[in-house]
Amino acid sequence: MIKRNVLIAGNKTYHDITNDICQPIETLPGKGWFAYLAIAKTILLTWIICLVMIVGVGLGLLGLSHPVGWGTDITTFVFWIGIGHAGTLISAILFLFRQKWRTGINRAAEAMTIFAVMTAGLYPLLHVGRPWFAFWLLPYPNQRGPLWVNFNSPLVWDVFAVSTYATVSLVFWYVGMVPDLASVRDRAKNKIRKIVYGALSLGWTGTNRNWQHYEAAYLVLAGLSTPLVLSVHSIVSFDFAVALLPGWHTTIFPPYFVAGAIFSGFGMVVTLMVLVREGFPQMKDYITVDHLEVMNKIIMTTGMMVGYAYASEFFIAWYSGNDYERYIFLNRALGPYAWAYWIMVSCNVIIPQLFWFRKIRRSILVMFIISIFVNIGMWFERFVIIVTSLHRDFLPSSWGMYDFTVYDFFFVFGSFGFFLTLFLLFLRTIPMVAMAEVKPCLSVGREGGHHG
Amino acid sequence: MDDIQKQTSENTELIPQKKYWRSLEEYRNEPEWADLADKEFTQSPWFEEDIENFEKESGEGGWARREFLKLMGASLALSSFACVRRPVQKIVPYVHAPSDIIPGVANYYASSWVHRGEVYGLVVKTREGRPIKLDGMSLHPSNQGALSPLAQAQVLGLYDPERLNGPRKFDPKNEHPFRRTQEPEWQDLDKDVVADLKKGGVYLLTSSFASPSTQSVIQNFSRVFGAQHVSWDPIGYDDVAQGQEVSYGQNIVPRYRFEKAKMIVTVEADPLSTYQLPTEYARGFSETRRVNKTMAMLVSFESLLTLTGMNSDFRVRIKPSQQITVLMGLAYELVVKGKKGAYAQDSQALKTLKPYANAAEELGIEKALLAQIAEDLWNHRGESLVVAGGLATRTEAGLSVQIAANFLNSVLGNDGTTVDYRNYIPGFGETTSSLKSLISKMKSGQVKTLIVQGVNPAYVSEEFKAVASNVGTLIYMGDRLDETGHLAKYIAPDHHHLENWGDAESAPGVLSLQQPTIRPLYNTRAFQDSLLTWAATKDSSLKISWHDYLKNQWKKHASGNFEDWWVEMLQKGTLRTSFVPSGGSRSFRTSALSQVKSVSSDGQQLVLYTKAGIGDGRYANISWLQELPDPVSKVTWDNYAMVSPSYAEKMHLKEGDLVSLKVGDKNIQVPTLVQPGVHDDVVGVALGYGREVGDIAKDVGVNAFQLVSGDVYSGQVVEVKKLGKNSPLANTQIHYNMMGRQIAVQASLEEYMKNPEHIFHHHEVFSVWPKHQYPGHKWAMSIDLNTCTGCAACVVACQSENNIPVVGKKYVLQGREMHWIRIDRYYLGSPSDPETVIQPVLCQHCDNAPCETVCPVAATTHGPEGLNEMTYNRCVGTRYCSNNCPYKVRRFNWFNYSKIQEPLNMAFNPDVTVRSRGVMEKCTFCVQRINFEKNAARLEDRQLKDGDIRTACEQSCPTTAIVFGDMNDPESRVSKRFANDRTYKVLEEFNTQPSVRYMAKIRNWKSESENHHQEEVGHS
Repeated sequence: MIKRNVLIAGNKTYHDITNDICQPIETLPGKGWFAYLAIAKTILLTWIICLVMIVGVGLGLLGLSHPVGWGTDITTFVFWIGIGHAGTLISAILFLFRQKWRTGINRAAEAMTIFAVMTAGLYPLLHVGRPWFAFWLLPYPNQRGPLWVNFNSPLVWDVFAVSTYATVSLVFWYVGMVPDLASVRDRAKNKIRKIVYGALSLGWTGTNRNWQHYEAAYLVLAGLSTPLVLSVHSIVSFDFAVALLPGWHTTIFPPYFVAGAIFSGFGMVVTLMVLVREGFPQMKDYITVDHLEVMNKIIMTTGMMVGYAYASEFFIAWYSGNDYERYIFLNRALGPYAWAYWIMVSCNVIIPQLFWFRKIRRSILVMFIISIFVNIGMWFERFVIIVTSLHRDFLPSSWGMYDFTVYDFFFVFGSFGFFLTLFLLFLRTIPMVAMAEVKPCLSVGREGGHHG
Repeated sequence: MDDIQKQTSENTELIPQKKYWRSLEEYRNEPEWADLADKEFTQSPWFEEDIENFEKESGEGGWARREFLKLMGASLALSSFACVRRPVQKIVPYVHAPSDIIPGVANYYASSWVHRGEVYGLVVKTREGRPIKLDGMSLHPSNQGALSPLAQAQVLGLYDPERLNGPRKFDPKNEHPFRRTQEPEWQDLDKDVVADLKKGGVYLLTSSFASPSTQSVIQNFSRVFGAQHVSWDPIGYDDVAQGQEVSYGQNIVPRYRFEKAKMIVTVEADPLSTYQLPTEYARGFSETRRVNKTMAMLVSFESLLTLTGMNSDFRVRIKPSQQITVLMGLAYELVVKGKKGAYAQDSQALKTLKPYANAAEELGIEKALLAQIAEDLWNHRGESLVVAGGLATRTEAGLSVQIAANFLNSVLGNDGTTVDYRNYIPGFGETTSSLKSLISKMKSGQVKTLIVQGVNPAYVSEEFKAVASNVGTLIYMGDRLDETGHLAKYIAPDHHHLENWGDAESAPGVLSLQQPTIRPLYNTRAFQDSLLTWAATKDSSLKISWHDYLKNQWKKHASGNFEDWWVEMLQKGTLRTSFVPSGGSRSFRTSALSQVKSVSSDGQQLVLYTKAGIGDGRYANISWLQELPDPVSKVTWDNYAMVSPSYAEKMHLKEGDLVSLKVGDKNIQVPTLVQPGVHDDVVGVALGYGREVGDIAKDVGVNAFQLVSGDVYSGQVVEVKKLGKNSPLANTQIHYNMMGRQIAVQASLEEYMKNPEHIFHHHEVFSVWPKHQYPGHKWAMSIDLNTCTGCAACVVACQSENNIPVVGKKYVLQGREMHWIRIDRYYLGSPSDPETVIQPVLCQHCDNAPCETVCPVAATTHGPEGLNEMTYNRCVGTRYCSNNCPYKVRRFNWFNYSKIQEPLNMAFNPDVTVRSRGVMEKCTFCVQRINFEKNAARLEDRQLKDGDIRTACEQSCPTTAIVFGDMNDPESRVSKRFANDRTYKVLEEFNTQPSVRYMAKIRNWKSESENHHQEEVGHS
């Protein structure tokens, strides 16, 4: 039998695991965490100010115009939704595939998903011209007809997809952490802590019945979440694929976008996990280099899928003989936004090729840098798709450019503030590794362990 | 009941029960377990038994079910108190209603407007006593129902917030700063003014008039005070009048009858857009350009690209010094070489023409081409037309150009037919020299009182500004304070023309009336009334209101009962609906040819011109005009130095680069515009910019009047220096290459006559879905690219009708202009000398509209009559519809553009929603007009007939390029046009099924070989 590497390093006992993982929740944060929080909150503040200005004064503060009606707003929306897919893949799909290594990272990854979806969900609401009426995208019964939404529109499908995704992910994440919250409750010395975690743990008593229900619910939710990994980003890609613009109207978008989502999501997971490991050194035993290596392999695979999609788009554009289609792709590579295109290609296709080398896959510093590039590349991919297809479409008389303003900049970067604030708060309030799931994997790779 | 209970309780006691245990703790009955078992399913704050427990444990008051419900109910009630309905606003009907006004029903008044001598018959649509839209009067023989962009914009000028609201007296030397501007009553002002007038030395400076009654008032005024009347326009037609005087002995500006011409040669003149009577000439031109064997041909020779050049069949670039060469060269071909025409033996003619034997070579064109043009002109003698004029010809040799053109027309026998002197244009009088002499008189102190009305000499002439202080009393009588007004001592503000009475003479005998369409908004007085009031102090027979004076003047035209006739005339608007018959040719005085001289041709030559939307700058404060993309350059909000692409390359200039233009010792700094079609040795600059007064007009562009010396506007040598800075131009169309796509189709006449079905590619489309059914009307529009000249009257008409906001230069730079209809312009061929095709693009109201499927809230839907409807209230502004529209006709309100600024909001059309921020808008096929006409037909119990509904763009178009109607009616004009083989759909292959279809432009080429421009223009 092949000997597996240990999933949990450091010769831990069950009690050690609980102590290690609950320690960040039970102790006051040090200067490091507060420093990070201060930075994140400052960025969040700039985002809030930017959003308030946009809602109060008008969308014109952004650089959008005719013909580029969507720019950094939708790019960032797709970017964040895409990132969320990695968490659900790890939580749900890897669970169904019985990949035990997921247990070290699934809590944090799913948290990343939740926060990414929260960040993403604000964009469709706030990028519309009249955000105070954004609720009209929801099909609620009313007395004006009743006036329903236009079910033909991909944006309505987005509403369903993203809200389903948010709901199911949240429920899945929450249900999964109930036993862990109960552990924290049981260890709680503080009265308020006991009440809060007590309420959150829904009266978990650790009885056999509880565990049976838990496992069943977890399985069902994993089953529900799995198709979401594929469907949500496919629906988001329909925002473009259903339109008739050359460069948007192509059938490769659903699988291409899903691959890209997983690609960028894993990139973000790697980034976050590397930082978590540095910030909480005891977590290095739970999120080992092996975990990171496997994630890097997934990054490389999906990166190559994305690279294939680029190549096939180009080929099909030429093969189709359609002048409009051909022009769009030539314009992407050689036109005024070629700089964005080449950033995208180098970050998404060329740089991840470094992961062929084992040494690089296992080097913390290099993988951290590569994961950042992956995310930059993926943001630019959506930017290239959206902006280059819009700015030069059918009638040359309406060709134009997308002139960014400072509001565009804060609109994008501020979202990271929101995400990071939430993530930092998560690290200090909720067990960042799934104790209840990691403990059964303690014996993997050890002498006498028969659970392979 | 009790029995059964007793029985069961007894039974349970008797039957022993097996006890099952689930855990050792249970078996041992440990106290901990017991505690847990007790609480397992019952511990809940909502369980009343547990209330006590809960209270004990938590130490505070628990919530009972009822308490909870009470709290919920209370908070629900409280929250609904916060929801206050929008305050109710009441609309109260009139108690004493003004007669003729029914709220919601429009009244239409026939009136006239004169722009520098060009007369437009107007129909003014008023709602609740205020004008909201100007339309052309179809009975007027000049414009026949159409209007120019300048005319359409006049209604906004009426509501300009900067209009003068009453008389003013300026006393700059007063020691108290706040007493320097006084607001006297009219009587006080009159007293002071009359006192000054009685001192003598009175001069009256006005614009040239087309109003015989006003002329009469001025004559009387001048007689009473011994005043001199100086008539002047910054840009007039003196050269033409002088040329006519020298050539034929008549000091007039003849009218051109394009509709009678089959071969037209223009030399620098732009009759389709800015020269003389563009609306009338464009219509005439369109009539003679019917696509058939007798289609007229237009050849243009010009230094800058003008709308006429864009519409011509052949175009040759020349510089100003070559204008004479063109005309004389053609004359040489005819008279000397061909020995044709009445002057073939004339010695003076032969002498003058001799040096022009090599004209073709000098112009850089093939000899055969010049010969061909001359031959074509001769073949259509009597039916041809040579038009030379415009600011580009007002060089040192301006008179020569006019004489040469007159000669050529006489040789061709055009005088009396296409050059119609019997219907000359009375409003174009001789002018420039008059300002010069006035300025010299001002300098010498002869002018004690100067009254200025309708002109702005301080803006146009630095010299005037300098000597204005020599005048004892300057009285200004405009309707808003402009540069001249700031120098005045008394201001007696005039009504706006829409508030005033008047008349206008378009051609001899063609008189139309001007009547007020709104009670004067401010404390202003018609300047004719002012003159009469002042003159009446000395001659009491003039103690009559201007209205009555006008009526008296018209008595001589009346028949029968005057008052009845007068009312009828006010309704009809015009005395004649056609011109007097033309005819009879005049004999040309060949002695005039001795005055023909040529000019030198070195260096870069300056050409000044006017833009169709700005003119001489007097309407620069109307925002619609500033934001109107210039028909040639598509630039808004600026003037610039127009240079050719080769010159720009040579000087390393790109769009926006600031350059200084030095002519003599005058210098201006303007940004560059690289304009295909400009002659390499020419720099063009537009006049009418650089105003110093007016919130909108101030500091927009640079005042190029400084470069005018006397009556020389063009041809001077200009020194161009690059300044190294860049000032971006708000250009609405940056890309002018069609990229080989079938968008605006053009074909040669020969090709079309041979194979009418093969002038463009017909695409196969199919759909799996059934089409929309239109059992009733199906509204559609046909746009004929062959007759559309690109004048942009439709753009301003649409803006006026549909409350389209103006966004300003900053946002036009970002591409956010809001026009629902735009005029696209594509170049074909080489960048230096391109061909141009023009295409108005508006919402195509597609049957398979890509915008409708993607709107998430169903704010854009398909109507039952074929319209793509836009529901502003429902739009949340996701902008997916605009992204998905392949024609990019949708416009988004990025900010709250339609802020209410009194009194400009009075120009809004109450039938059209004013859109708020965050809402998408686009052309609606003037749905308000469609509904209005349908209702009217229903009320009158009749059928709608074709032509009842006219969209704003259709109504204003001088050439009937745009036709709107019911596609389901086989007799409608639109159906007939759709059946024409020139009709095609743009982007047909995407199966959008547009309701707007275009008809291909036909260029009058005899064969494909005459199409010199096969290659595509490299795009920017």
